[in-house]
Amino acid sequence: MITRFRQVEMRLMGPLTAIPIVLATVVLVTIAALPFVSAVLSEWIRDAVPAGLQHAVAVTLGTVGFVAVLALNPIYAIWLERKVAAHVQDRLGPMRVGWHGLLQSFADGVKLLFKEDLVPKDADRVLFRLAPMVAIAGAFAAFVVIPWGVRADGAVLAVSNLNIGVLYFIAITSIGALSVLMAGWGSNNKYALYGGMRAAAQMVSYEIPTAILVLVVVAQVGSLSLPEIVAAQAGGFLGISNWLVFQLFPLNLIAFVLFFICGLAETNRTPFDIPEAESELVAGFHTEYSGMRFAFFFLAEYGNMLLISMLAALLFLGGWVGPVGSNPLLLFAKAFGLVVVQMWLRWTLPRLRVDQLMAVCWKYVIPISFFLLVVVAVLKSIL
Amino acid sequence: MSDALASLGRFLPELLLMGALAVVIVADLATQAWSLARSRNLLVGLTLAGLGAAFVASLGEPGGGSLFASMIADDGLLGVLRPLFALTAIFTLLFSLRAKELDGARMGEMVALLLTVTAALMWMAGSVNLVMIYLSLETVSVASYIMVGYRSSDRLSNEASLKYILFGAVSTGVMLFGLSLLYGLTGTLDLYGVRAALAAEDAGPALILVLLLVAGGIGFKIAAVPFHFWCPDVYTGASTPVTAFLSVGPKAAGFAVLIRFFYSGIAQPGADGTFAAVGGVDWQGLIIVLAVVTMTLGNVAALLQTNMKRLLAYSSIAHAGTILIGAAALSSEGIGAIVTYLVIYLFMNLGAFLVVILVHRVTGTFELEGYAGFWKRSPLLTVAMGIFLFSLMGIPPFAGFFAKLYVFAAAVEAELGWLAVVGVLNSAVAAFYYIKVLRIMAVDPGDGELPALRFSRLDGALLLALVTPNVVGILFGGALEQISEIAQRLLDLA
Amino acid sequence: MTAAQVVFYGACLVMLGSALYVVLGRNLVHCAFALVATLVGVAAFYVFLGADFLAGAQVLIYVGGILTLLLFGVMLTNRIYDLKISTGAVQVFPGAVAAGLVFAVLVWIIRSVDWNAMDTGAPGPTSEPLGKLLIGDYLLPFEIASVLLLIALMGAAMLVRRRTRP
Repeated sequence: MITRFRQVEMRLMGPLTAIPIVLATVVLVTIAALPFVSAVLSEWIRDAVPAGLQHAVAVTLGTVGFVAVLALNPIYAIWLERKVAAHVQDRLGPMRVGWHGLLQSFADGVKLLFKEDLVPKDADRVLFRLAPMVAIAGAFAAFVVIPWGVRADGAVLAVSNLNIGVLYFIAITSIGALSVLMAGWGSNNKYALYGGMRAAAQMVSYEIPTAILVLVVVAQVGSLSLPEIVAAQAGGFLGISNWLVFQLFPLNLIAFVLFFICGLAETNRTPFDIPEAESELVAGFHTEYSGMRFAFFFLAEYGNMLLISMLAALLFLGGWVGPVGSNPLLLFAKAFGLVVVQMWLRWTLPRLRVDQLMAVCWKYVIPISFFLLVVVAVLKSIL
Repeated sequence: MSDALASLGRFLPELLLMGALAVVIVADLATQAWSLARSRNLLVGLTLAGLGAAFVASLGEPGGGSLFASMIADDGLLGVLRPLFALTAIFTLLFSLRAKELDGARMGEMVALLLTVTAALMWMAGSVNLVMIYLSLETVSVASYIMVGYRSSDRLSNEASLKYILFGAVSTGVMLFGLSLLYGLTGTLDLYGVRAALAAEDAGPALILVLLLVAGGIGFKIAAVPFHFWCPDVYTGASTPVTAFLSVGPKAAGFAVLIRFFYSGIAQPGADGTFAAVGGVDWQGLIIVLAVVTMTLGNVAALLQTNMKRLLAYSSIAHAGTILIGAAALSSEGIGAIVTYLVIYLFMNLGAFLVVILVHRVTGTFELEGYAGFWKRSPLLTVAMGIFLFSLMGIPPFAGFFAKLYVFAAAVEAELGWLAVVGVLNSAVAAFYYIKVLRIMAVDPGDGELPALRFSRLDGALLLALVTPNVVGILFGGALEQISEIAQRLLDLA
Repeated sequence: MTAAQVVFYGACLVMLGSALYVVLGRNLVHCAFALVATLVGVAAFYVFLGADFLAGAQVLIYVGGILTLLLFGVMLTNRIYDLKISTGAVQVFPGAVAAGLVFAVLVWIIRSVDWNAMDTGAPGPTSEPLGKLLIGDYLLPFEIASVLLLIALMGAAMLVRRRTRP
């Protein structure tokens, strides 16, 4: 029976496999090449584009690049997640579509595209339709200030190199909480509403320690600008010893771990995924979503995972500096490494109860963060 | 930074209050498991110690300079008002031990609020910066909202708190808008800078708008008509000690802000102790109108009240109007008169509220009918009430008479004789309702035979402490003169 | 019109339109979400004024914090399965007249005054001077703000606490 079902599936997918293979090649090449492409492009812009248009062209190309990363990232992140899950659980995971199931996500993506787009009869249509857009807009907008690296002549590769980069990042990601509330309320479904409320409460709560822990870094570097924070971590033994996570041992290490925990909570990942706990809330705030709207939430979730990992890498792990000097690929390697850790944790740890979730935040993480901030500030002024 | 450190020495009362706040919060947390009475005693003791220390620290000659980069004026006005606030808070705390409404209530938050609001009142009275004025006023307001809603299981208390919040939010918002316009006009947040800018160049109609908006915020704090609507409901809904506190503390601080804003910010001192408006807007008329309307409406409305707390609410509105006469005089004498009035008002009004608390303790009602026949039950209490009410009326030889005398004298001096006459007429109207209360207490027969009243030792001490200044005020004319003289020493950074 | 002007007037339109919806809208939850646009519009104004830190703080505090709490308030105080949370606009005519009058007065005042405008050089980073002011000249207001927040927090916790102790 099972075998026959799989055969049917394969036969259906057969003619379509050509498209994913082409797409996949493009995607892989793009993701791998983006950092280099961006460096080359930025030099081209500097040399070949008229001065008046440079800014506009750079912003446009940068935005396109990030949109590409954000849109393509989930495709492989989901495959990765399923593989990680499978191997943690002693299974193989997707194996059929493409080599080791590498094209599985494309098949799923095509399926989502063709799925009927449902809006529940009693839903609040405006909010229901708006929620996925707000979710993905929040994730996209945050990418604007993420720098990828520096060019040989010292120019920063970022869509917008803001002085208040970190603050902007924290501010804009808080919009995610709104989208979750919108979805929860708009669905007119009690599970969705409970999920939305839980998620929003969790995001708002964990925003506080996140901001404080960012301040721990800012207090040491003396700047809110991400490139400057990375620049402060350059050099040292093997290009590693100056990473902030190794400074003032173990204060910054604790800060990094806490920051990562908060990141997990802000992206509603296990063990903090009570907002979408299947066993009690079906699927939380996106219970009623299907098709592309559902895909948007997925996109936003994986985008946020990558975002928070990138921020952690920039703040604590030296960003694009490392043993091989200054290279944008290093940033991506560190960020994806953290993404894998997130997945690994998801399939290893059980989820926390709602009260435990809040207790962890308010009774442990926030006080420890404040303590770290005070100690680091004092040490900084003494040393 | 060095300025901040140097300022700390002159900031001792506020620091002591903040220290006490920290101690009280921790003590409340640490004594969660104790019995209610025991933790209550500890908390009240700690708070009393803090307030007492702040009171002692606030006595003495004012420094005369400005603190924290011209945020706070360490001048005579603050020097007089600081001990007044500490004293008000001490009385309030002791009242709350005797108030029936607060029996069995947890005191942790109440004492914390009281300490905060006292410190905030001190900040308010010293503010010479627009940001400071707004922030301290908001701190006082927020703490007051919570104090009013303290009995959260009581519907009346909730309603009062909500009304207070709505009114307060609107009026502080309006005031903030006015202050922002003023900043736009002058480009500075410093009151003395504002004055300099306005003296250099007339501001025109925009200043009128600023004055109206700011008057809204200050009028709310001193409960002047037409910003008084919250007052009767809040006074009724709040527990009586809180009402007593609100009727004295924030009102005094509101007048301090009024003096600072109008006299230091948009007026210039002349040669002979008078002030002249700057900026091309003669705002004296605004204050006069406020004074007349507030006095008259307060007194007339008080005539109709049958509830003691509402009556005292309208009476406090009327008193605010009378004090505004002093503000309209535009002279140092006027400032002295205002502050003297506030000092005396503390004793007479808190006294009246103490009697209300003690009566409520035995009768359980705030209605005037409940006061019938008190002469038979406790002649002492009736006499004490008589003294407080005569003092509020302004009958010689009680202290209230001198309070009014100074204010009216300042008005006459400023050639506002007719305003003084309006004030006297209003006092005559006020006599009706004060005497009505006394008549009910002394003459009306009560319901049958009621047992005689017993005072605790604390009641006796409080009554004595509040009656004495009202009775012997006449003997201390010199001290009053001195208070008035010190208060007139406004910080002047020309 | 330059690109900056287009963005500026766009922000104005969004802000005013959403603010109007907040006042006149009949669905309370929609009104609350419309407030997001208004607050983000204010942040855009800060950006135009060169106050980068303030703009970030505006979004972080108002959109991320206050508005989320506001939505919680709206959603929790009503029967949550019932989507028809609406507010009627009452006294539209007197309100419109009053608003019009206020508007007229403000326009008149704004046009009649020679405002104390600052020198509009190129906007620089503001976070460092702001930080120095907060622990320098404005140290006392900064500390008082923390007392204010502390007491507000305590009060809020006290007012909503369940009475467990007799």
